Amino acid sequence: MTEATPYGDLTVVELAGDPAGEALGKLLATMGADVIKVELPEGAPGRHIGPAAAGARDGDPDASLHFWFYNVAKRSMVLDYRTADGMERLRGLLRRADIVITGWRPAEWADLGISPAGLRDGAPGLIVINLSPFGLDGPWADMVSSDLVGLALGGPLNSCGYDDHAIPPIRPGGDQGYQLTASFGHLGILLALIERQRTGRGELIDVAMHDCLSVSAELANPYWFYPRVLVHRQTCRHAQPTPTQPAVFATADDRYVYFALITTERKPWQSLVEWMESLGLAVDLTDSRYDDPGFRQANFAHIQQLVEVFFLLQRADDIYREGQRRGLPVGVLNAPEDLPHDEHLTARNFFVPVDDDAPGGPHLYPGAPIRFSALAVPPLTRAPRLGEHTADILRELT
Amino acid sequence: MYLDERRQPGPRRGPLAGVRVADFCWMGVGSVATRLLADFGAEVIKIEDRTRIDTPRKLPLYKNEDARNFGEEVVGADPDKGGLFNNYCRNKLGVTINMRVPEGRRLAERLIAASSVVTENFAPGVMERWGLTYERLRELRPDVVYARMSGYGHSGPNASYRSYGPVVQAVSGLSFISGLPGREPSGWGLSHMDNQAAFYNSAAILMAIRHRMLTGEGTEIDVSAIETGINLLGPVMLEVTVNGRVTRGPRYPAGNRLEHPPAAPHGVYPASGEDRWVAIAVFNDEEWSRFADAIGRPAWTADERFASPQSRWENQDALDEAVATWTSQRDRYEATKLLQEAGVRAGAVQNAQDLNETDPQLAHRGVFFQMDHPVIGEARFEGVPVHFDGMSADNWRSGPLLGEDNEYVFKELLGVADDEFAKLTASGVI
Repeated sequence: MTEATPYGDLTVVELAGDPAGEALGKLLATMGADVIKVELPEGAPGRHIGPAAAGARDGDPDASLHFWFYNVAKRSMVLDYRTADGMERLRGLLRRADIVITGWRPAEWADLGISPAGLRDGAPGLIVINLSPFGLDGPWADMVSSDLVGLALGGPLNSCGYDDHAIPPIRPGGDQGYQLTASFGHLGILLALIERQRTGRGELIDVAMHDCLSVSAELANPYWFYPRVLVHRQTCRHAQPTPTQPAVFATADDRYVYFALITTERKPWQSLVEWMESLGLAVDLTDSRYDDPGFRQANFAHIQQLVEVFFLLQRADDIYREGQRRGLPVGVLNAPEDLPHDEHLTARNFFVPVDDDAPGGPHLYPGAPIRFSALAVPPLTRAPRLGEHTADILRELT
Repeated sequence: MYLDERRQPGPRRGPLAGVRVADFCWMGVGSVATRLLADFGAEVIKIEDRTRIDTPRKLPLYKNEDARNFGEEVVGADPDKGGLFNNYCRNKLGVTINMRVPEGRRLAERLIAASSVVTENFAPGVMERWGLTYERLRELRPDVVYARMSGYGHSGPNASYRSYGPVVQAVSGLSFISGLPGREPSGWGLSHMDNQAAFYNSAAILMAIRHRMLTGEGTEIDVSAIETGINLLGPVMLEVTVNGRVTRGPRYPAGNRLEHPPAAPHGVYPASGEDRWVAIAVFNDEEWSRFADAIGRPAWTADERFASPQSRWENQDALDEAVATWTSQRDRYEATKLLQEAGVRAGAVQNAQDLNETDPQLAHRGVFFQMDHPVIGEARFEGVPVHFDGMSADNWRSGPLLGEDNEYVFKELLGVADDEFAKLTASGVI
């Protein structure tokens, strides 16, 4: 018996061309939905963003790793929905679909001559979800954005950067503004699917990257809601109302570990001192005066210096493993190339081989971060070539 | 039972109405995951331990008090005045159970039997120590959804490692890929992964609830925050596994610049005022031309080093310096308005005060809302930023006081008799 997948019964049409909409389609596709990426003849914008797979010819729309990352497990259909005939075909597609993902500002909808609600004509059960920079209404609805601009206006960027405030706030990597928007979109779709199960009715869902980011800076809003203070960015640790000690430490092998030194609690303090003593590096920290949390707090800077030296004399992986063995929440700052060899991830078969179009394959791709006992996660398949499934899908429509 | 009748639970509205959740989650990541369920109608019953107060109750984000860093806890503070807890636990019910005693564990089993979803984010092994394996839960409730979230997942050699947001961000690579080249990573100034891992977990629970609606079958769920983080690394992950790129070195990460596509200017530039900034992103010649027009075509915009996307990208040091001469003389909002009116992607770096007090778009969209709290008073909340045409969040009550719903949940929902309830209270089981 083939096990069911979470979305094995769903058909999704993806019209969105930016990473927010594409990441949402990917969340659905990797959990089993049939996601049909509808592309204009020139292909989705992401196909023309680098880097390209090694050895690809210039301008090959099928070789963008950017496109591959956001479009695994989907099918591609070329359809020029700007023409009357193309729009007719699109409507045929939508009548059979459960979900359509769009990504347009109000002015772009107007240019296309359609409306989000209008997509549901003749398809009352269809869930229409539009992910756009500022949403479908409001004074900023037609402003333009990007991941960087979104993170700036939405607030998270204000918390990220370095202790030195002559350096501007620094955007965290990985298109996080877009990907966070996709997560909220995913939750919206799930709620709409559950509601539809009871009512049979679809939904129009309007998600703005700006709204999503404005509620996603963790402590920044609560600090304003309650004590009405602002947090200030610090190097690779929480933005806080007032400065705190560094939490990223350099190691002997020129890497970094994250460790927030907390001296107030007895147990982690003892674990740390025992660990330092085991390498003969506790210096005066074994002195009984340090049994008093007040004394530790008063000598925090001295302790911090000793910990800096302690870490600088060891390799990052050793610090990570030994610290964790002793119950301390130490993290190693892995680079992406460290991950495919990580023994824990390997034991969980997290990375999965995907037979993509690049030479030397199959290549390892990140696998599903969600596992179910009763539901299967389908095997991961490569991103589609431009129009790879056009003929198949047209055949399915007739 | 409730002195203020507005705090009395009643029928809920939304797609999850009728779903009862026995919620063992705590800390930020766990509480955010189940908050969405409570917002959309689920009866989420948060189970707390009076002797081990949930951290967000203790972090000193207090209304009408001075600023304290979140590490500066106040010994003996009222657990009901914690603002962060209120923020995370709105719309939930709150009960207390001491799980270290058999009577407590028996009571928890009764609650589980009367629920259809059980959630937890303890270190692996804690639920097992209480006998609450998936097998046991299925005996109590055959179609149970048992959602388990942890840093490393429930198998593998590092399953017992300790983690929280910053550790997850470090180990998954998200910290490393963020920063200026040639110096320590700037990483994250927040627990981004407390949000994203929570959302992946909420999604997994909703997938399981939907599957049960379709088939009648429950499931156990294992969500790893670190594996979620790796999924969010972006295309650089495939550059590494497909192209064999080594990112460790003096040229990566790229700070606010983009490697792909080669967009420039693409950065965060100083505006007038102390620590005020404006982000600008120009992706192609058309946008560059609009940008140059908008700022009045100063002479440097005609510099041949800035004539094509590629040459602008190659000469970013000079370009950024020139752009900063323009931005630094302007208010961040004035620069934003001027550039946006020309169709250039630009935006002020906004802080929480800006978002809450002046941002016209968020005000129009109603992203933030207020509810009263018996100890804290009127408080502001971050709404779910998803607008539906046919439904909305059911924001009925602020966060529960410690044990506020003991009587309602244990007596009314579970049928605990008055004398037994009194005994459980007196003996500290609840």
